[in-house]
Amino acid sequence: MAMGAVALGSAVATAMLGAMLEVGDRVNHELRRLGANLLVTPKSASLPVEIGGISYQPTATDESIPLAQIPKIKSIFWQLNITAIAPSLRAQTLLNGREIVLEGAWFERKLRVPDGSSIMTGLHVLNSAWKVQGQWISDPRADDRSAEGMAGAALARRFDLQPGSTVPIFGELFKVMGIISTGSEEDDRLFVRLEVLERLTGRAGHVDAIEIGALTKPEDAFARRDPKRMTPAEYERWSCTPYISSIAHQIEEVLPMAVARPIRRVADNEGRVLGKVRGLMLLISLAAMATAALTVWSVMATTVLERRYEIAIMQATGAGSALIVAMLGAEIAIQGAVGGLVGALAGWELSGWVSRSVFGVEAQAPALLIPLVLVVAVAVALAGAAQPLRRALSLEPAAILREGA
Amino acid sequence: MFWRFVVGAVKFRRRRLALAFAGLAVAAMLATAVFSLYSDIERKMRREFRAFGANLVIAPVGDARTVPLQAVSSAEKLDVVAAPFIYTIGRITIGHISDERVVEAGVDFSRAGPLISYWRVEGARTASKGECLAGITLAAHFRVALAQTVTLASGPCTVRGIVSTGGAEDSQVIVPFERASADAAFRDVASLVQIRADGERLPEVRDALSRAFPQAEVRVLRALAETEANVVMKVRSAVLLLSVVILLITTLCVTGNFSELVLERSKEIGVLKAIGAAEGRIATLLLSESLVLALAAALTGYAAGLAIAYWIGLTIFSNSAQATPIGVDFAVFMPVALMTLLIAAVATVAAASRIWRIEPAVILRGE
Repeated sequence: MAMGAVALGSAVATAMLGAMLEVGDRVNHELRRLGANLLVTPKSASLPVEIGGISYQPTATDESIPLAQIPKIKSIFWQLNITAIAPSLRAQTLLNGREIVLEGAWFERKLRVPDGSSIMTGLHVLNSAWKVQGQWISDPRADDRSAEGMAGAALARRFDLQPGSTVPIFGELFKVMGIISTGSEEDDRLFVRLEVLERLTGRAGHVDAIEIGALTKPEDAFARRDPKRMTPAEYERWSCTPYISSIAHQIEEVLPMAVARPIRRVADNEGRVLGKVRGLMLLISLAAMATAALTVWSVMATTVLERRYEIAIMQATGAGSALIVAMLGAEIAIQGAVGGLVGALAGWELSGWVSRSVFGVEAQAPALLIPLVLVVAVAVALAGAAQPLRRALSLEPAAILREGA
Repeated sequence: MFWRFVVGAVKFRRRRLALAFAGLAVAAMLATAVFSLYSDIERKMRREFRAFGANLVIAPVGDARTVPLQAVSSAEKLDVVAAPFIYTIGRITIGHISDERVVEAGVDFSRAGPLISYWRVEGARTASKGECLAGITLAAHFRVALAQTVTLASGPCTVRGIVSTGGAEDSQVIVPFERASADAAFRDVASLVQIRADGERLPEVRDALSRAFPQAEVRVLRALAETEANVVMKVRSAVLLLSVVILLITTLCVTGNFSELVLERSKEIGVLKAIGAAEGRIATLLLSESLVLALAAALTGYAAGLAIAYWIGLTIFSNSAQATPIGVDFAVFMPVALMTLLIAAVATVAAASRIWRIEPAVILRGE
């Protein structure tokens, strides 16, 4: 009975802790489907005058970020938190006599990063929520120069394009592979391969902007402080936390010709929602764990209470308090340890089951939880037994024996 | 006689009963807390997503540059937040810099508040007649400070706020809607209309607006709509599953407590049987004891559970952009009470049926 209670309590605690950690992580990944939360643009002397991607600047600027520098983004301290990089180059051209915005982009690019590994990145990775009719352009290699494009939904309707139609751009015929519908201004654009647009516009090796998706920690008051006014210790703590602002700062360090700015609409709200979900899970787990501890505590207390008679006999036959405490303590510790181990293992499995059924991913809670819960289980069991034991020892054995008879 | 037995039993075994009572009350408390949270979690989570701003846009279709302003009032009739925006090329003069091209954005501040709550603004969030807001890039470019006056084509305006969003607003000068409308020479039209509809009503609102304005295009912001739906659904099912896990485990614990309660009294039951009490009557006796206990535990646990749900709601969701009362669901009492009574009854009957099978003489002999 006592061991069972400890096992149940530990199972609840482990499952809750595991699920709490997992739910936060999964929601963070889920929120990354919102698209980019950082925008990197060239440091510019001129002010962009653009509406919906169409520039009304009297003279075109030649400011840009060198394409060859992009892999450097994956060399910053928080490189593993960067989930997608999508560089783009813009151009305006006439299609059937009407002005349209062309965007050169990576779609599904295999990018070699400085540490020698490769990652898949591009628009498809960054914006997995976009709906595509037809198919995504597959451009894993930079030297594939096929004349393929993807049209935004509004643009496709305007020019009556379907997957498979062809459009003449800069004198070449491009085949439309897919129609993208996003709901935002990308719907009015025509996307082509980045390297192809660079060649057509004579801007080889240049990009105008880089959109970045990064997993971040929600910003708190500390994150909003100006890094220039921090003490060295504070600065270190700030840059060793994946705040959106510290990631932006690190990107500016490796790309000195560029400015990295958080896209507030995504970054701030994403952080807030994530903070709420984490807090919710934390409080539910706290409530459940408190209950589990209370149950274990009370069961242990009754177990000792029931054995007052036995304790009195031991005392009457001359056993010292220390011996009795050691004996009962060892017994309870063993019960706590066995029950705790069984419970922790069961709870660990249970949290795996929760993440499988809610998020459809194979994920296990950190194994560190098991010894942690085990120790807490033994401690709570001992704590529950302590008070009634002290009381039993302080009473006259004769009185207990008479009452118990 | 019957109630004397019941009351007597309660008095006699106070400690054992207190334990069973506490166990059941804790189970009822957890059940109440997680179920009230669960019943309200979707609404709470969706409210969090409101701060993302618009999830629907009415945009010009084909070669048109504008949408009718009438779309705003039509959308408002559907009980959603809607606001018109204008984007036009204006000219700005600041000190020695004269007549530079800038993007002038017109915002209807009286309507757009909830749609632009994510803007980070230094100074005022809104501009009235003769005032404007400057994007942070624009402000840095022209070295504009708060309270400075700049001159647009339509006359001077005082900069009341510096806006920073990381988006297009950073390089715009933002003026009240009417002024931008006059500067762009628009009549009852806007560049686009942004709409925030509650996630679950999104398809319905989109369809209604598409029907009403075939000359414009109603776009759903896919990334936002889809993420909202996914996150809300997943958090909801995580809370549900965790609730089920917690409940199963506490139920197991409580069942054990109640069986003990009956088994402990096998001697007493033996005596009752030996002096000729009918089995049905003994069962009624045991059951009514358990149920009285369970009902008391359900009430106590329910009250405590509501308090916990309230506390969680208050701690996590109270500082939202739009504060609404923290949802505490009183309707969960019936299922919680039923569950508690059922656990108590099943545990009691299961334990009692074990005693039935034994001869009274055997129990009384103490084997």
